Amino acid sequence: MHNIYTSSPFAHNNSSVQKVMLQVQLAALPALVVHLLLFGYGIVIQWFLAVATALLVEYVMLKLRGRPLLPNMTDFSALITVTGLVFCIPPESPWWVVVLGSAFALIFGKHLYGGLGYNPFNPAMLGYAFLLLSFPAQMTQWTLPTELTGLHRPFWDTFQVIFFGLSTEPEIYTGATPLSLMRSGLHEGVSAVNVMMSPILGSGWFGLNAWAWVNIAFFIGGLYLLLTRTIRWQYPVGFLGALIITAWFFHTLNPDVYAPVSFHLLAGGTMLAAFFIITDPVSSSTTPYGRLIYAAGIGLLVYVIRNWGTFPDGIAFAILLMNIAVPLIDRYTQPRVVGHSR
Amino acid sequence: MSTKTMRMSQLSHQFLTKLSAIVPLAKHWLYKFHGGIFPDYHKDLALKQPLRQGYMPKKLILPLQQHMGEPATACVKVGENVLKYQVIAQAIEPRSVPLHAPTSGKVVAIAPQPLPHASGVAEMAIVIEPDGLDEALTNPLQQDQLPPNNKQDPIAAFKHTILNAGVVGMGGAGFPSYAKLPNQPGLVKHLIINGAECEPFITCDDMLMQTHPAEILAGAHALATAFQIPNIIFAIESNKPNAIKAVRHAIAGQASNSVVKVQLVEVATVYPMGGQKQLIQELLGLEIPHNKHAIDIGIVMMNVATLRAIHHAINLGLPSVSRFVTVSGHGLKEPFNIETMIGTPFDELAMLAKPASSINYSLIMGGPMMGVRLVNNHVPVIKTTNCILANPPEPIHQAMACIRCGECAEVCPVNLLPQQLYWHAKAQEFDKTQDYKLFDCIECGCCAYVCPSHIPLVQYYRNAKAEIREQHAQAALAEQAKQRHEARLARIEREKLEREAKLAAKKAAVKAQAAEATPKKDVTAEPATTKLSAREKAMQAAKARQAAAAASSKKADSAAVKSEPAAPSAEDKRKAAMAAAKARAAAKQAKQAQQSDKKSATESVSVEDKRKAAMAAAKARAAAKKAQQESSDA
Repeated sequence: MHNIYTSSPFAHNNSSVQKVMLQVQLAALPALVVHLLLFGYGIVIQWFLAVATALLVEYVMLKLRGRPLLPNMTDFSALITVTGLVFCIPPESPWWVVVLGSAFALIFGKHLYGGLGYNPFNPAMLGYAFLLLSFPAQMTQWTLPTELTGLHRPFWDTFQVIFFGLSTEPEIYTGATPLSLMRSGLHEGVSAVNVMMSPILGSGWFGLNAWAWVNIAFFIGGLYLLLTRTIRWQYPVGFLGALIITAWFFHTLNPDVYAPVSFHLLAGGTMLAAFFIITDPVSSSTTPYGRLIYAAGIGLLVYVIRNWGTFPDGIAFAILLMNIAVPLIDRYTQPRVVGHSR
Repeated sequence: MSTKTMRMSQLSHQFLTKLSAIVPLAKHWLYKFHGGIFPDYHKDLALKQPLRQGYMPKKLILPLQQHMGEPATACVKVGENVLKYQVIAQAIEPRSVPLHAPTSGKVVAIAPQPLPHASGVAEMAIVIEPDGLDEALTNPLQQDQLPPNNKQDPIAAFKHTILNAGVVGMGGAGFPSYAKLPNQPGLVKHLIINGAECEPFITCDDMLMQTHPAEILAGAHALATAFQIPNIIFAIESNKPNAIKAVRHAIAGQASNSVVKVQLVEVATVYPMGGQKQLIQELLGLEIPHNKHAIDIGIVMMNVATLRAIHHAINLGLPSVSRFVTVSGHGLKEPFNIETMIGTPFDELAMLAKPASSINYSLIMGGPMMGVRLVNNHVPVIKTTNCILANPPEPIHQAMACIRCGECAEVCPVNLLPQQLYWHAKAQEFDKTQDYKLFDCIECGCCAYVCPSHIPLVQYYRNAKAEIREQHAQAALAEQAKQRHEARLARIEREKLEREAKLAAKKAAVKAQAAEATPKKDVTAEPATTKLSAREKAMQAAKARQAAAAASSKKADSAAVKSEPAAPSAEDKRKAAMAAAKARAAAKQAKQAQQSDKKSATESVSVEDKRKAAMAAAKARAAAKKAQQESSDA
């Protein structure tokens, strides 16, 4: 135990881990609301499922590890982890998907490494990767936006779908995400421009599809995090910068085969990753230049995996790959200390 | 700087100041060093009250060590009456400064007293009971009686005077001021007057600048004149408008009769602007290289209070016996600034400020960022005490795991990676902490101030530094012990050889005498030539050894006693030469005796010869060395 009375400073700016985490949670609210409006109640049920799982897992793991409950249960880090995960899961996927994913993320992603602060990998992305590799069928069939299907499922129905799988005609209400559509479209020889004009991608509020709106909501929340200095600018700038430059380069090279920049920015989990996932400081580089390199590396890998990989969205794998590179990046990007030459 | 660029920079500065009101990030663009924080300053607490003066404590506690370096040596006795300004402890040790009585009174004790130090250790102090008369010694510094070699040299005279006046850095470090200054004129290009005072709560420098700006400037001018400093910069943080106004007015008043014009610079209000490295970076854009001092790049920085003490010493001939102290904190109803005598107890001053509740908690010496929480509140104001802070304890936040958010690295003014330092310091990987430049940490506390996990980072760095210093000290001790042991072994071996040589020489002498007594016989030619060559070789070898011994002892002598006049070493040489000649003679004699001995075989004779010559030479060496030692001891 540290006796802080023996040593200065005796002043503090009153920040705390809890406040940082709650700030992030608050910034995710716009996206939650948009998601709710466009995809139905699924997200809310999934979120509560994930939070319940997190509470249980945290309790059991802290007990098993012999750690004090109160400070560790109330640091809200598990809340952020599962919130990140929930947005990656199809909103009407069966209940055990999110429960398994959350439990895996917290147990294998965090506690087994020694708890908060010691995990080399982003726990949410580890959980997502586990789900995607283990249950690809459940993970790739997305609930289509209510706008498209015209089906506004009441809360109770959604609940039943998630828990008992009562949906009679699942094929109608679920489908591929824009990223999957683009992939299969290009595979079948349809030009990127034409894929962009398909009803799923091209229709919605103001001509933007539902996934794009969720991304915009995340972007707005992200701006809030930037302004409150909760996250560092290097993450979104490095990530989005690298993604924009690569996408622009290839799109300019051949617009038929490569989707435009706007598509990449507003599809999949781009904005979620840029402001909420890769900004997890524990598993990212800690030096200012290191963060930029780390984020840019993820941006580049995301583009590579989206275009040439086998998975629809490469964000989770891009992040996990760059997590591995963090110690190396940290080592070679140490800032110049005042009074020292390079 | 031309007026046009100055106007532009002023405009951009004004724009950034306005912008920073809306965008907090813009505050960082107002200054040049990395990081920094913007804490709540609470400076108005003590500034609301007028300056207090003339408080006469019941007892004054004057520790013999109030500065970095060696303690002073008490030169008064218990029961002795002393006058104000009288020297009560002398600077005998190197890097020590004398101590003067702040008022007239009686010495009631010279005993260990608790010091304002984090450890709470008691150190020797002189306790004076004031008689209330405040009778002063006239001409206490006796500047008219400077040592003769100082009279011609204004710099030596200057340094002598401020040493005699007991002037130390009053900004906090307490480095003896004379030791900070060079011995030649022209080495200092910039004198920076540090009026930044960036710590929250503390306003004693602010008050001093408001009330005595001319004295500060007079001290700076005295320094600049003695050391021929071409440039004086007076830096004040922008949150002290009254001090800035007072100083500007004082500069205008002095402009006509001063050699160097003082340049007043209003610097941004950011902690730690007042740090030496940061202020130099801000004002001159220069970084002090690692392991170097400001003086190495031609800069001397002095706190405003130190310059006032210099003015008192040089221009008024008065030693340093009082200082401005801020008595502030949330636990006091009437915080104030006071000009008080060195030795005034903290608790008495805190009581003057009307505590809101009884002070049953530890006071802090200094500010909340770099101050020291006291173990005992009954400790005296010393020359480095700028603030007495009475902040009631707040609930402790439990330290949580580091989430590597990097907030600490954002605010570090020396651009360290505090989270990495913490990681390695916690793991006790001290070599790694040094890779991450632990010793460049100025312990400003910015990192711990912003840490969302409430980790006492600075404490980890202090511990790590202490551990490393301890390890180095241990290693040095071990090395010393090893060298001592080796030297002892060598000495034992040498003494053994010397004893043997002495014995052999005696034997040889006896033999020679015996040989002289016997009648001489004819020498055969053939064995003589072979004998001669062998003899010659032996003699040459002996000579060479002698020369080497003489040279090495001469070298050792010159290294060991440089100040010794040349005469003894010349004498040594002569002695050594004489001893060598004697030895040579003895060797010759011995050989002669051997030569005359016809019966002995050629081989054995030559071997015997060699040994004897060597022994004689060793004896000579020993004698020469002894002579050397004696002369160097003398």
